[in-house]
Amino acid sequence: MTTLDTTLAHAASLAGLPAMTPVRLSLVLAGWDPEEAWAALTRGTHPQDPKRRFAAAARTTDPAEVGERYGHSGVQVLLPNQGGYPSGLVGDPGAPAVLFCRGDPSVLEDRPRVAIVGTRSATPYGRQVAADLGRDLASAGVVVVSGLARGIDGAAHAGALGGADGKGAAAPAAVVGTGLDVVYPTSNAKLWEQVATRGVVLSESPLGTEPRPRVFPARNRIIAALCDVVVVVESHHGGGSLYTVEAAARRGIPVAAVPGSVRSRASEGTNGLLVDGCIPVRDATDVLVAVSLARSGRPAPAPAPDTATLVAARGRRSSTTNGSSDGASSVHSGSAVTEAGRSVLAAVDDTPTTFETILLRTGLSIAVAAETCEDLVDTGRLVAGAGWWSKG
Amino acid sequence: MIATIPSAVLIGVDGKHVSVEVHVSTGLPSFTVVGLPDAAVRESRDRVRAALLSSGLPWPVRRVTVNLAPSGVRKGGAGLDLPIAVGLLVAAEELPPGAVEGMAFVGELGLDGSLRGVPGTLVLAEAVGSRVLVVPEVCDAEAGLSGDHFIRSAPTLAALVERLHRRQSWERPRLQSDTLPTPADPTLGGSVSGHPDLSDVRGQRWARRALEVAASGGHHLLLVGPPGSGKTMLANRLPGLLPPLDRATALEVSRVHSVAGLPLPPGGLMTRPPFRAPHHGASPVSMIGGGTHWMRPGEISMAHGGVLFLDEMGEFPAVVLDALRQPLEEGLVRVSRARGSTAFPARFILVGAMNPCPCGQGGAPGSCVCSEAARERYARRLSAPLLDRFDIAIRIDRPDVDDLIGSRPGESTAEVARRVLAARGRAAGRQVRVNAELPGADLRRDVPMTQEASKLLESHMRSGSLSARGFHRVHRIARTIADLDGADDIAALHVHEALLLRCQRDLLLGKERQ
Repeated sequence: MTTLDTTLAHAASLAGLPAMTPVRLSLVLAGWDPEEAWAALTRGTHPQDPKRRFAAAARTTDPAEVGERYGHSGVQVLLPNQGGYPSGLVGDPGAPAVLFCRGDPSVLEDRPRVAIVGTRSATPYGRQVAADLGRDLASAGVVVVSGLARGIDGAAHAGALGGADGKGAAAPAAVVGTGLDVVYPTSNAKLWEQVATRGVVLSESPLGTEPRPRVFPARNRIIAALCDVVVVVESHHGGGSLYTVEAAARRGIPVAAVPGSVRSRASEGTNGLLVDGCIPVRDATDVLVAVSLARSGRPAPAPAPDTATLVAARGRRSSTTNGSSDGASSVHSGSAVTEAGRSVLAAVDDTPTTFETILLRTGLSIAVAAETCEDLVDTGRLVAGAGWWSKG
Repeated sequence: MIATIPSAVLIGVDGKHVSVEVHVSTGLPSFTVVGLPDAAVRESRDRVRAALLSSGLPWPVRRVTVNLAPSGVRKGGAGLDLPIAVGLLVAAEELPPGAVEGMAFVGELGLDGSLRGVPGTLVLAEAVGSRVLVVPEVCDAEAGLSGDHFIRSAPTLAALVERLHRRQSWERPRLQSDTLPTPADPTLGGSVSGHPDLSDVRGQRWARRALEVAASGGHHLLLVGPPGSGKTMLANRLPGLLPPLDRATALEVSRVHSVAGLPLPPGGLMTRPPFRAPHHGASPVSMIGGGTHWMRPGEISMAHGGVLFLDEMGEFPAVVLDALRQPLEEGLVRVSRARGSTAFPARFILVGAMNPCPCGQGGAPGSCVCSEAARERYARRLSAPLLDRFDIAIRIDRPDVDDLIGSRPGESTAEVARRVLAARGRAAGRQVRVNAELPGADLRRDVPMTQEASKLLESHMRSGSLSARGFHRVHRIARTIADLDGADDIAALHVHEALLLRCQRDLLLGKERQ
C-alpha cells in the first residue's frame, strides 16, 4: 500500500491542520464524514469553524498528498467507526477522533489491558519493579500499555517485551505523545521499534508532531481509557503520571500503586495514592486480581487470565523473595561476600547512596571501599549510578 | 640640547626597550610627543609639567619635542612619565648628563611629584638594556626580580633629583638576585597562602581525596553536586594543597600578574600558586586575554601555575568554555590581533563545579523534577571534548546530618600538602612536572603496573566501559594514587580507586542509563 484511501487521507489531513487540537478535531468530525468536513472547512461553511480558522490552511493542503505520505511511512490511520480502532476506546468521552498507529492494533483486543506508568526520573528500584511487572503481566497474557517515556514507562515496556514470547503471552502496546515518525526520547528508539514490530504504537498526533508539554497529559487520557487497571510504579508529588490517574478516576477505572520507601521522593506520589485508597501492588499477582475484579464488572468479559500463568507468576514472586531471582541478578548466587562487602551492603539504603555515605558508614579505606563496590557491582549485588550506588 | 633616556613599554606580556629622546630648543613654547604615543602617553605632558612645578623644578618655556624610539611601535601606559621628566631636566640643563649616564627610568608621575608604580615593572625591567634601573619606590622589589640590574628607587621626583645630584644617597642599592625570597615552607601551606584551611570541611572524605589526587597529579577536576554540597568550599582549598612554585614558574607567574596589574606579594615574587575564580559572566577576552589597546593576560593566564576555578560551569557561555580547550592542551594561549600577536602562559589545574541539572537535585535518581529536555540541554552545555579534559569527575552530595555527627574533623591543609609534596617528588623522577602530563604513547612501557592491575584495566576496556583515551587517563590517575601511596608499581587497588575517580562523566550530568 503506497497511499491511503480518500476517507483516511482526509482524516489525516484534518488532524494535521495547524492549530488543530484533539478537542477541535472531535468537534469538526462529530457527525461528519472526513471528506465532507474537509470540503466544508475549505469552503468556510463548517458550523464548528465560524471564524474560518482552518480554511486557509485547508485550501493549501492536498489530502491526496497527505495520504501518500502516510502510505509511504507505513503509519495507519484509524477512525472510530472503522476496523482496527481499539474497541476499548469506543464510547469513551475523550476518545480521539483520529488515531494513528504503527504495528498491529488487534493486539489490544480480547485481552485484559494494564497501564504501567510512572515518573521519568525513576530510581533503580522503580525500574526493576516496572520491568518485573511488565514481564510477568505480559507472560500472563495481559497487554501492557505505557507511554514509551524514559524511566518507568521504558522499563515496563522492556520487561513486557521480555515476557511476550511464551504461549498465551501478550504483546505490549504504547501510546505516545509525538508523531509516529518522531521518536522521543531518542534513547528509547530501539524499544520503540521493538514495540511497533511486536505490538502496537498509537498516537493521536499527526506525523511530524514534536514533543511539546501539552501532548503528554493528553496522551495520558488515552492510556487510561484503554486500560482495565492503571498501575503507577513511582511518581513524584504532583508528577505527570498523576494525569493518568486523574483520567482513570474520572472513568471509574481502578488505579493501583506500588508502595515505595517513605523517604524516597520518587515514591511520594504513589504512597499518597495508597493513602487515598488505591490498590496496593506488590507484584503481578496483585495486578491480575485487580484486573479480574475490574473485568468481572464489565458487560463484555474477555477470557480471564489463565490460572496456570497466574500460578506461574506467583511462583516467580516467591522465588524472588527467597533471594535468587532470574535474569542478570542470578549471577551472584554462588559467590561469597567478603567482610567488607557485607558492611558496604549494610550501608547502602533503599534510596541511592553516595560513595561519601558508604565511606562514612563503613569506615573502610577509600581504596578498599572502591574495590568492594566494584566487586559487588560485578556480581550484581549493587547497581552503580553516577556517583551513587543502590541495591541490585 | 638633547637628552636620550632609556626606558621600556609593555607589549603583551613582553617588554620593549624604548629610548625617550627629549629636545629643547628656542622657539615658541610648545610640547610635542611623537613616535606613536597613545592617549596615556600624550597626557603625560600635563602630568610631567605639574610634577616638575610641584617639585620646585623649572618647566622650560621653550620648544620641547619628545620622540619615543623606535617610532614604529605603538607605546602605551604612563610608565614613560618619569623618563620624559628626567630627559626634560637633562635637556634643559637642570641635570648634568653625567648624572643619568647608564641609567634607565620607568615610572608614573603624580601631579604632586610623587612616583607611582606601573603594571609590568618586572617585565619592563627585563627589557631595558642599561645597568642601572630607576623605578618608583613601591616597585623596587618587583623590578629587582629580573636580576640583571642595579635597582635604584625614590619616592618622589624631588628626592630623585637630589639623589641624581648626589646630594642625597640612594637607599638600599642592591643586586636583587641575591635576595630572592626563599620559597615558603610548604608545611605552613594554608597560613602562608592565605587560602582557607581544609580542616574546615566536615566529612567529605571522598571529595578530599579527589582534591589530594588532583593536587598531586595536576589532574583537572570536575565537581558535580546539588547547591550547598560544598563544591566551592572544596575548590577554594585546592591551591593550599599545591607545593610552592619553583623559581622559573614563580617568575612566569609574577610576570603575568605584574603585567595584569594584579598586586604582588611583598618581595615581588609569587611563590604561592594563584587561584582565580572568574564569574560565569566573563567575556571570552577576559578569560583568554587580549584587548584593543593593551594586550592584557586573561584569567587563564592569571591562573598560570595555580588553579582556575569555574563555578557554575554550565552557566559559562559555550564560546568561553570551548576557548579553554587549546590552552588546556598546550599550556599557553596565543592571542592574535591586527596589531600583533603574543603568547601568554596558561598552565593550570582546571576545577569545574556544576549542578547535575537545572533544578540542582538531579543525578540521584528519583529526586529530580526537571523535564527531560531541560536536563539534556543542561548536560550539553559542556561539550564532549571539554568534558574529556577532566581526569577526575566526582559527585558531591550534602552529607546526612546523622552521618556527620560523630565524624572526626578532617585533616588540615598542612598535613595533606605534605603528602602532595612527597607524591610530586616521586613523579619528578619521570621527566614531567606532574603525572597528568605523562605522554600517552609510551605510558605502558614507562609507567609499569602489576599484572593484576593491568588485567583489571584490560577487562574494563574489553567490556566497553573504558575508551582507549580513558585507559590512559585512568593509568595516569592510578600512577598518582600509587605515588601518594609510596608504591613503585601501580597495583590493582590503585586502579580501582582511579576508576572510581574518573567515574562516568556523562552519567554525572543526569544522562541516565535505560
